[in-house]
Amino acid sequence: MSELSDTFEANAREAAAIVERCAHAAGAVRQAVERITANTSRIVIGGPEYVESEIGNHLFELPGVIRRPADEQLATADAGITGAFAGVASSGSVCVALGMELSATASLLMPLHIVLLCAARIVARPRDLFDPACLGGEGLRRNLVFITGPSATADMGPLVRGVHGPHRLHILLLE
Amino acid sequence: MDKSKPAGEINQSPRTVANKSDKLNLLRAIRMTLEIQSPAIRRNTQTFNRNRYRATSALPDYDALKDQARQIKENAIAHLSENLQKLETVVRARGGEIFLAPTAKEACDYILAVCQRHDAKLVVKGKSITSEEVRLNHTLQGAGIEVAESDLAEFILQVADEQPSHIIAPALHYGRERITALFKSKFKTELPLDTGEELTKFAREKLREKFLRADVGVTGANLIAADTGTLMLVESEGNIRMSSLLPPVHVAIAGVEKIIPTRRAMAPFLELLSASATGQKMTSYTSFLSPPLDDPPFALPGKPRKQREFHLVLVDNGRMKMRDDPVLHETLYCIRCSACLNSCANFQTVGGHAFGGETYSGGIGGAWEAGTGKLENARFSELCTGCSRCVNQCPVRIDIPWLNENLRSRLNEKSELSTIGGFLGLMSAAAAKDRSAPATKIFFGDYHYFAKWGARFPSLSNAIAGTRIVRWAMERFLGLDRRRSLPSFPRHTLVATARKIPAKGEKPPAAKAVLFADVFTNYGLPERGLAALRVLRALNVDVAVSESIPEGRAALSQGMIATAKKCAERTVSRLQRYLDDGRDIVIVEPSSLAMFRRDCRHLLDDAGQFERFRMRTFDTVEYVARLLQQSGRHAKDFFDVVRSPVGAKLFFHAHCQQKTVGCVEPTTTLLRVIGFDIVTSSVECCGMAGSFGYKKDFYELSMAVGADLFQQVAEAEKGGGPLALLASGTSCTEQLHAGTHRIVMHPIELLAAILIPSK
Repeated sequence: MSELSDTFEANAREAAAIVERCAHAAGAVRQAVERITANTSRIVIGGPEYVESEIGNHLFELPGVIRRPADEQLATADAGITGAFAGVASSGSVCVALGMELSATASLLMPLHIVLLCAARIVARPRDLFDPACLGGEGLRRNLVFITGPSATADMGPLVRGVHGPHRLHILLLE
Repeated sequence: MDKSKPAGEINQSPRTVANKSDKLNLLRAIRMTLEIQSPAIRRNTQTFNRNRYRATSALPDYDALKDQARQIKENAIAHLSENLQKLETVVRARGGEIFLAPTAKEACDYILAVCQRHDAKLVVKGKSITSEEVRLNHTLQGAGIEVAESDLAEFILQVADEQPSHIIAPALHYGRERITALFKSKFKTELPLDTGEELTKFAREKLREKFLRADVGVTGANLIAADTGTLMLVESEGNIRMSSLLPPVHVAIAGVEKIIPTRRAMAPFLELLSASATGQKMTSYTSFLSPPLDDPPFALPGKPRKQREFHLVLVDNGRMKMRDDPVLHETLYCIRCSACLNSCANFQTVGGHAFGGETYSGGIGGAWEAGTGKLENARFSELCTGCSRCVNQCPVRIDIPWLNENLRSRLNEKSELSTIGGFLGLMSAAAAKDRSAPATKIFFGDYHYFAKWGARFPSLSNAIAGTRIVRWAMERFLGLDRRRSLPSFPRHTLVATARKIPAKGEKPPAAKAVLFADVFTNYGLPERGLAALRVLRALNVDVAVSESIPEGRAALSQGMIATAKKCAERTVSRLQRYLDDGRDIVIVEPSSLAMFRRDCRHLLDDAGQFERFRMRTFDTVEYVARLLQQSGRHAKDFFDVVRSPVGAKLFFHAHCQQKTVGCVEPTTTLLRVIGFDIVTSSVECCGMAGSFGYKKDFYELSMAVGADLFQQVAEAEKGGGPLALLASGTSCTEQLHAGTHRIVMHPIELLAAILIPSK
């Protein structure tokens, strides 16, 4: 288990994500998120279903969190928080299920995306999620996106991180 | 003044030379790209290429993934009609619409109607090359709808009004400086746009506003699952996610070949596509969407919140006809990863505005252009030299050179029979089907015939071929560039000399072999064949020398497939007796070797016969290494590095086809074991590529490709002094010599020179 976490962490960092390990407890997560968002004022939470609801409740109490944001607030928010239903060790990807309350927008529109991933939900390789026996076959049922690092482009000459999608991807690895 | 060059149009815009059904446009485009685009293209494609090698070698099951992907695509195309039906049912059941567009125009008309029904003012597009194929922007803009390209590369192209030059990085021909200049002039801005970050920020801000306001979002699809209607969408920037998420109407446009039977079957493509395309483990975003999405679409204040709508537009536009074509069929397996573009030396040098048509480019591009347009549009595939470096890179194992040889053959058949070509063809007994090929092609394709005559009176032939008038005539009528030195005919061919050397035979031989007297070695560089004989005999091999027969390589490379088939069949039937006699076939020229190892699978009707020859044909040095291994003898028992006339430090450039058939490693390993210090070139191809670099039309391109190789020699010699140059192919030898003016040896010649005399 911890071997998968280590591989995941190394590969996610290689893809320019920030990885931070954190105790799987509401207080610890809240503290971490508070610290990460210290300089951001407008935060949107997109259904963190894959962590306990208690964590969700704690996060909603954070200052700066916009409950039920209007679309123009989504367009101007600074940070989005979502859960990930799986992580992939070999590539350092996180899998975010779409179609849940705001998870698509909260993982895309803001410059900073904070994603909460339970270490127990890390699989070895991307293709594992296409096995019906893996994580209850969720990878085959859902609309989802494998997110590997922040958005990036090489179209303007040198490699630039931060294009249309988030410029920073901060993964909280919950253990 | 040089009349052979199209006069004064370096300032061609890429659009004006996009259609290369006229060969003049191809030549203009080569000049334009060499003048302007080449540095950016080289840098970007070579980065992709290096990253791909690294990423694919890190995949523990790369070959198995390729097999799976190939099998899934074969099956998907075979059952395309059933899959289409299934997909139709599931998309409709989910509340989406699906439209099978027989032609490009019908695809555009359908999408325009959707836009008009919604009174759309602004359409935002993720990257879709299929939408470029059908010219969607043209239709929408013609109807007064604003189209915003949101992929940054497509954004650049929209600003510049150019066609894509690469299938996954459509503006790869632009370096940062040229983008800055373009934006400053088109947007009349004083903003500092001197870094990638500043340019990206500038474009992002313009496009963010478009995403939020767009009425319709258009994306492509990398794959579509027939059982669930799931689209697989691969990207790095986030624009495809935005285009499919924010506007209320999502239109996905894709070729029908993108449909595979199930969502589960997408699994092997995940890592394979990323690794083959950008050389990443996974690109930033790989989405799996079964639209319409559940999320409510985006609506800024004042805009009504609409119901989501989804339209899947599947484009035929010639694909169903390709499916029935025995050769082009394979094109439909293509997953558009660009590995064949990035691993191609010519593409690395000129990119897709020269090596490409109006939409598609590179090795696979000719087949796509011919299949979705007309055959003549594939004329640019002339730039495929058949070097075969792309073959092992294709994630679905498409034999891309074979596609291009067939396109060439079809173009040959369609061209007018020329007087000179027809005469040459008749003389050299080219297959009747191939006689309408241009004279240059017949000359190179049937080179063995002319070589045979030349070799009868070598001094006379060399004297004649060396005169200016003859070189002028050869350039004028055969397209043979005057600046190239021609191989001179040896005083005695390999076969003639070998006949005079008595075969020893005191001890029972360690092995029995036949040295195949390939045309290039026999009539061009017989000393290589003689060196092979000396080495093999020193290893106690009973070695015979075959007659010199063209095995078909030369004809195949000119697209003279019927002639190549005739040659291949005749060659194997003549060589069969050697196999029956228990002899292995040993070959000096790697392009001939590759015919037996690879290409003949297409030319010999009997698959068993191909296998038998494939298994028993060897590169000379590979064979030497094998014998040593089998006998358990050490290389140093036979070869002594101290005897080397050129020192112990070497630079080795292996032939492109030798790399593809996997027999470079025995040479480098053997030479290292003997005690040599070797630097190997890392270029895909030297640029000569058989006859390619001899042709007047392609001389500049050939030398530009070669520049990388010459540079690598210079780099390797920095500080340490000169290295002895080795090359395994006849034409690579000439190219390396042309670039360095130095002597270039074949590894077998070096081995012959350092043989320890037997006691």
